[in-house]
Amino acid sequence: MDPIGERIQAVRQAASAQTMLAATCELAASDHGDSVNGEAIACLVEVLGFNNPGAAVAAVDGLIRLGPMAVEPILDSLDPRNYGARAWAVRALAGIGDVRGLDLLEEALASDVGPSVRRAAACGLGSLQLAPLQPLQRAAVRQRALLALLGGCRDGEWVVRYAVSVGLESLGLRLEPQPLEQQQLLAALAALGDPELEDTVVVRLRARLAHQRLLPLVPAAETDAAARGEVQP
Amino acid sequence: MAPASSIPAAQPLPGDGEADGNGEPISEGEALARLRQCADQSHQYYAAWWLGRNRSRHPEAVPLLITALQQRRPRDPLAGVEENAVARNAARALGKLGDPAAIPELLAALDDEDDGLREAAARSLGELAAIDAVAVLLRRLASGPAGAGATRPDSPRLQEPCEAMLEALGAIGIAEPGVLALIEPFTAHERPLIRSAACRALLQLSGEARWADPLVQLLDHPQLQVRRAALMDLGAVGWRPALEAICRTLAENSLKLIALRGLVEQGEHHDASIQAEAVLSAMDSLL
Repeated sequence: MDPIGERIQAVRQAASAQTMLAATCELAASDHGDSVNGEAIACLVEVLGFNNPGAAVAAVDGLIRLGPMAVEPILDSLDPRNYGARAWAVRALAGIGDVRGLDLLEEALASDVGPSVRRAAACGLGSLQLAPLQPLQRAAVRQRALLALLGGCRDGEWVVRYAVSVGLESLGLRLEPQPLEQQQLLAALAALGDPELEDTVVVRLRARLAHQRLLPLVPAAETDAAARGEVQP
Repeated sequence: MAPASSIPAAQPLPGDGEADGNGEPISEGEALARLRQCADQSHQYYAAWWLGRNRSRHPEAVPLLITALQQRRPRDPLAGVEENAVARNAARALGKLGDPAAIPELLAALDDEDDGLREAAARSLGELAAIDAVAVLLRRLASGPAGAGATRPDSPRLQEPCEAMLEALGAIGIAEPGVLALIEPFTAHERPLIRSAACRALLQLSGEARWADPLVQLLDHPQLQVRRAALMDLGAVGWRPALEAICRTLAENSLKLIALRGLVEQGEHHDASIQAEAVLSAMDSLL
């Protein structure tokens, strides 16, 4: 059997949480060369559903390394009855950044019960891979990601609003944003940085940092108003 | 994304539970009404929690919670949701609402025979930075690790809720020699969680780096529960020199993020050489 086949077998035969973790780490770190083993992807996806958090983290890392070809298997595996597996799938898709995960990331940020899942979704929405897309699709995806992140600004958990600030920054840093989108984005960051509107100090600091980093990219006409946080979405 | 070194817990993750755990959504008015009635203590129990969780600013919230705290009576382990459970939740909520009017009743609760209630009262008095609580806390802890810190014959609990009381002394912030001298022996307590609480308090009060070293060492402790406590303690102090060690700790990213938030928000008192921006950058990579 080839080395990857052996590693898959080791995961499937693991008798304890500890050996499962070790075997998953091995499989996740495998070098697939030119031909990726579909069984390896399937096996890593299975691990997401095993209620073994350490192994799931390793599997998520392995799936992120595999990138776009892991997306379909992850989406196909989604089971509404297994919340844990779904939460890990959101994390994997957020890390891969493939636009096929957009629906799930939007839904997760808007309504997942776990703040750790919403925060991963917010990050993922900011770092979707837009470059391979056609211009029209790119604009549509960017707008949906922006809308989802604007909704996330009202999340009740500080860590999610923190992740939304990070997501808005990375969205704003990429690819010819439209002036209107850029204004909405800066206005949202200005609000997250405003002590009248945001209680949590660390969220304010992160949002202001993002605002500072994006401001030089905004066309001059918008700059004055945006700098004062006066642009309304 | 999560680095391979982190171990998230099974769902729900710590910090996830309460966030959306409001149960059935109720209004502030409903919560106040539930706390006001006395027929159903499970309703009172939930209402007291709700008012704290949602940081109620209603003028009736604090008086009603003080009344609920006064409802306590000698513990009856056979009762279901007893008054003391309501009183404990009321004590916790009073700490979150930040009104010093609650201090006298919380001080009285520090001498209650229910150690769970003493624990809740100590934490809340710490949150309220109640200087008047220092003398009572010192009195309850005066017998040291061998007395207040001794394990009870009938349960694994300690004679006093030392962890909460030590943390309260750190939070209140009276750095007098007598306070430091009383806390110091607890840094050698047999239980790592007590050592962690004592070091946290001493680090907060004195700012001396020697109390940070044991906390950083506890980040490598074999038990996850201890590593989590050390993370929270370093975060509460805002000890920025621990930045790298916190990032490397085998624990959930959710908890590391809470600790790093503390480094950003509390950390300026300690070490200006590590800028807030470096901590923010570390937080970004844990999302």
